[in-house]
Amino acid sequence: MSNLIPLPTPDPMPLPGPVWLMLTLLLVTLLLHLVAMNLTVGGTAIALICGLRRTKDAFAGRLADDLLRVLPVSLAFTITLGVAALLFVQVLYGNLLYASSILIGAFWIAVIPTLILAYYAIYYSKSRPGRGGALWLSLVLLLGIGFVYANNFTLMLTPQRWLQLYRQSTTGVSLNWGEASLIPRYLHFMLGAFAIAGLGVFAAGAWKRSTEYGRWLLLQGSQWFVLPTVLNYAVGIWFLFALPRPVLMNLFVGGWLAPALLGIGMLLPLAAIVHALLAARTEKVVANARLAVAATVLTLIAMIGVRQMVRAAYVGSFVNLSELPVHSQWSVIALFLVLFVAGLVTVYLMLQKTWKGVDQRTQASRAASGD
Amino acid sequence: MNYPLWQLGFPGGLLIALIAVVHVFVSHFAVGGGAYLVLLERKANRDNDAGLLDYVRRHSKFFALLTLVFGAVTGVGIWFTIGLVSPEATSSLIHTFVWGWAIEWVFFFVEITAALVYAYGWDRLDRASHMAVGWVYFVAAWASLFIINGIITYMLTPGRWLQNHEFWSGFFNPTYWPSLVIRTGMAVVLAGMFGLITGPGLASPVRERVLRYAGSWIVLGTLFLVLPARWYFADFPAEAKTYFAFLLPSMRRVIDLGVAAAALSLILALVFAIAKPAWLRAPVVAVILLCGFVVMGTGEYTREVARKPFVIGNYIYSNDLRVANLPHIDEAGFAATAKWMDRQPSDPLREGRQIFAIQCGACHSVNGYRAMAPRAHGWDPAFAADALQHLPLMRGTMSPFAGNQQDRVAVATFLASLSPTGSEQAATAAELGRQVFQQRCAMCHTLKRKFRPLDLGGTDADSIDGMLQQLDSLNPEMPSFHGTEAERKALAVFLQSGATAN
Repeated sequence: MSNLIPLPTPDPMPLPGPVWLMLTLLLVTLLLHLVAMNLTVGGTAIALICGLRRTKDAFAGRLADDLLRVLPVSLAFTITLGVAALLFVQVLYGNLLYASSILIGAFWIAVIPTLILAYYAIYYSKSRPGRGGALWLSLVLLLGIGFVYANNFTLMLTPQRWLQLYRQSTTGVSLNWGEASLIPRYLHFMLGAFAIAGLGVFAAGAWKRSTEYGRWLLLQGSQWFVLPTVLNYAVGIWFLFALPRPVLMNLFVGGWLAPALLGIGMLLPLAAIVHALLAARTEKVVANARLAVAATVLTLIAMIGVRQMVRAAYVGSFVNLSELPVHSQWSVIALFLVLFVAGLVTVYLMLQKTWKGVDQRTQASRAASGD
Repeated sequence: MNYPLWQLGFPGGLLIALIAVVHVFVSHFAVGGGAYLVLLERKANRDNDAGLLDYVRRHSKFFALLTLVFGAVTGVGIWFTIGLVSPEATSSLIHTFVWGWAIEWVFFFVEITAALVYAYGWDRLDRASHMAVGWVYFVAAWASLFIINGIITYMLTPGRWLQNHEFWSGFFNPTYWPSLVIRTGMAVVLAGMFGLITGPGLASPVRERVLRYAGSWIVLGTLFLVLPARWYFADFPAEAKTYFAFLLPSMRRVIDLGVAAAALSLILALVFAIAKPAWLRAPVVAVILLCGFVVMGTGEYTREVARKPFVIGNYIYSNDLRVANLPHIDEAGFAATAKWMDRQPSDPLREGRQIFAIQCGACHSVNGYRAMAPRAHGWDPAFAADALQHLPLMRGTMSPFAGNQQDRVAVATFLASLSPTGSEQAATAAELGRQVFQQRCAMCHTLKRKFRPLDLGGTDADSIDGMLQQLDSLNPEMPSFHGTEAERKALAVFLQSGATAN
């Protein structure tokens, strides 16, 4: 038995559901989590920038306040959606993830108090909109959490480096500095976060396009989307070539899917950029805005697919999901799906009631002020 | 040793306990508080009480701020911690219950949305819709409790799951229903306790109305819990009942503390919230909340002890070793098969230190919590190696040692190095006899108490000395006597004198 790669044996219990189902749920919840995370982290950054511009630009101040109202909600959903993804990644890759989590254990556990602090700092900023101090703290802490995640989810891919890391620290005061793709990966995600938040602002502008504020949002949002996305081409290429050679070979020489997804993921942002600029600068706002958002959503879907394929290529010699025994708990799965649909309907109804209430209030205040 | 040990220098279970007790304190409030808010809102609407309605509104914002942030993130914190401290058990739980957790997740999703809509939608929704959202919140919150209760109780009493590995057998296990009732009761009590936080600052007459309402929840909830508590304990594993009966006197104290805290909060609520609300001040509220925390903490701690030596009953031990793997480890050796150990077979002290950390560190520190240094006082390697073969006998709460003779010798060498004798000389033979009893026998025997008493007052010292020379043939479960002749004779005299000082 080789002591050089202490690969934990997977759980003796079979998987409680088919791999395709759990992998699909993992990727869907991860995608939703990342979008929520983007809106939160990017939104915090934008709120900070706008807060600084408040005195010179009234619309900037207004956006900062609007974002501060949204951020606690988006953070709540970032966490909830992250929990779902964490569930499924543990079932499928637990024997890798538990080990990597322990190896960076001190940082991993620090995520929890950090998150609580960042969360309350956002609420504090919301209650004191003029001052930006706490918001800086939130942003730094959230970026730190993202960095720890990038460490864990890359370290889980390289069991061959684990023992060396463990000898350095059994208390988990370690990070995955030895991974060449760590920094470009992290930057790629964080630049993306800023871009997606910018797209969110852009979309809000398209929604309110009949007002001056809306048109300001459209223009600003498009810039905040376009600039980081352009930069992300360079970072993305760096990320790609920082991947280990065998992984690249596996992806691009092995089959057609990875190159296709990556190609889509590189072409679609161009379309998104073009349509965002057109929406901001021409009269055809709605059509272009819709296309910009759709192209971005498809990009994210393609990228989440590439990410999973990269993971599979990294760990191929250690873990083969299709070889794991399966014993599906169909009764529980069915109950979950039924409750999931019921849950969605309930949430939809509650939100619908709230929006109608908002509409009535806005109409009432407009009528009162003779708008 | 499948996963690396996360070396903290103290048992990782303490970290789980810290985060978990804080979480359940807030989360049970989050469940009960949902019903509390809606029922109070309904009361305010029916009585057209604007002051009361304003209180509910403010309390709902406090509620959202506490439960959404602190409650939710500490819950995730438990997740993080158990994966770090007990990855094997966590992996097993996930493989059995991931769909249960997925269902709980749906309820969280609904719960969070409802909480946000409820807390911030006071002006946007009509009264009926707003209350409906409150009920949605409560149902979702209680439903999430319904789910997690299955998993937690499964760990204590897996029931028929051990034979059939079926989800529903594990979920609806022997302690499921009493635990659910108790936790629901605690949710009611905590809702009342937290209701006292935002109450005292109000103006009369709303103040009195709120405090009486909150106080009634505390009183009714506490009184309700008496019978379900007895029901729950009745379904504990048989070994656990002996722990509480006489094996672990410390547990009696823990249970008494919990009962005392419940009684105190009941009295304080009756006096300061219901009878004389004008007297209620922040310090009283703080004491009541502290009582709630203590009740919750002692309850959870009691269950944790009841589950020993397992983290999943009869399936995985508290040190994350699988019951089924022990025969293999005993044969092949622990250190020989430990993936992550820094092997130095020629250095038993170093090997022993690592094996101790991995196998025993889940419950014992060297110095600190449940420290081994004082417990191993006067141990020599031969005695320690022998004792390691009888751990579950020594304490029913301990798992057996996993490993072969070489592993035992290594750990024994380490343990014997912690607190060697020779530093104090006994003044008299009687002193020596007592000392030897303390160091060699007291971990398994008492003299005249309930736990394996050695009442040899009638036998003569020479006969006892003879028995001491053949301990392992007297009883194969016992280690031989490893000590000098002088020590043995002094012990014989000590036992014969039937000295009661223990």
